[in-house]
Amino acid sequence: MLNQLGYSNVRDYRGGLADWVESGEVLETAAAAPVAQNSSPIGPPLSVSADGYVGRVPARVLSRGRWADSVAGLVDQLTTLQLFLLWIGTVVFCGVAFWLGALVGEHGLIEAGAPIGADLRGLANALYFSFVTATSLGYGDIVPVGFARALSVSEAVVALLIFGAVISKFVSHRQDELVSEIHRVTFDERLDRVQTNLHTVISELLSIISLCEARSMPLPRVSARLDSAVLLFLGELRTTHDLLYQPRLLVEEGVLASILANLSSALEVLLEALTCLPADFTRSQPLELTINIVTSLSKDICGTCVPHDYTPRLIFWMDRIQQTANRIQ
Amino acid sequence: MQSESHTAVAHADVPAISRAEIKQHLNDHSLVLVDVLSSDSYANGHLPGAISLPFDQIESRAREQLPDPNAEIAVYCAKFT
Repeated sequence: MLNQLGYSNVRDYRGGLADWVESGEVLETAAAAPVAQNSSPIGPPLSVSADGYVGRVPARVLSRGRWADSVAGLVDQLTTLQLFLLWIGTVVFCGVAFWLGALVGEHGLIEAGAPIGADLRGLANALYFSFVTATSLGYGDIVPVGFARALSVSEAVVALLIFGAVISKFVSHRQDELVSEIHRVTFDERLDRVQTNLHTVISELLSIISLCEARSMPLPRVSARLDSAVLLFLGELRTTHDLLYQPRLLVEEGVLASILANLSSALEVLLEALTCLPADFTRSQPLELTINIVTSLSKDICGTCVPHDYTPRLIFWMDRIQQTANRIQ
Repeated sequence: MQSESHTAVAHADVPAISRAEIKQHLNDHSLVLVDVLSSDSYANGHLPGAISLPFDQIESRAREQLPDPNAEIAVYCAKFT
């Protein structure tokens, strides 16, 4: 593209942004990037960031709200079970801490006016108190004194947060499943529609061909039918093109193969229809434009130019589409 | 028609440049890095020193952003696999 505008030394960094980030290199953020010095920008002047620093602010992508992000990231990484075990661990850890506090004396737990013992029964009591605190039940049959008070309050806060994470994770997991299920279904329906529409295009073009072979239809009507058929074709071609270039969901090989096969035969029929039209038929400007887009999109479809690897069967159809497109004038 | 088929055009006839080469040129200004992604994406993060020239504005703004037609230019977008 730049080459066509007269730039001679253009090269393409194929790995792009993704490769750069993967290799651990920093990215610049903010709109303030210096334009290379040997060029004089006529565009907007360099903007200065809030702290007066012009450009070259090294920061990784997604560096906003570091603390909150890292906590959220941790919650994302752990499974529901792991989070739950973390909660249990916190509670048990605090229970043991309460018990050890009781051993020290002044900073332990008091049950019915007397400090809990340093024996097994005491440990059980400390764990019981810890669970009562963590679940924010707070019966009050055992009370903390001294440093144990601070510990029990912080335990309650932390345990509540973790428990909240467990619950939300549990709920959002179900929701994610449902959402992706809905996506999948919509996507499949869309693919079905591509097939149906391509069939319509093919049969419409075939009837145009038979009409124009019989020379039995007024040209304006042929033109209108051709217009709508080609437009419909363009829509589905665009969808397929996106599917090959930016796949959002994986398509079954069989489905993709049949779409490509239909696309290929639709294109061949279109070519036939265009060649069979009488010499005095002039294409309207919109039709001309649509056909041009169809041609250039189809030329993009071939085994080696799509940015992903496909099976030989699919590559066969893609190459065929490109070959047919090359024959359209 | 070009914008319809840009992926293939960029892929077909432009020589590639590697990450190592780009890094070599980061500090001298002999290489102009061009980010052809959207300006939102550019604000979010771009290669150090890169200028923003969104793909759909190449034709209209290339002249002012890149006055020297013989400058060494490296373009990049999100990723070609």
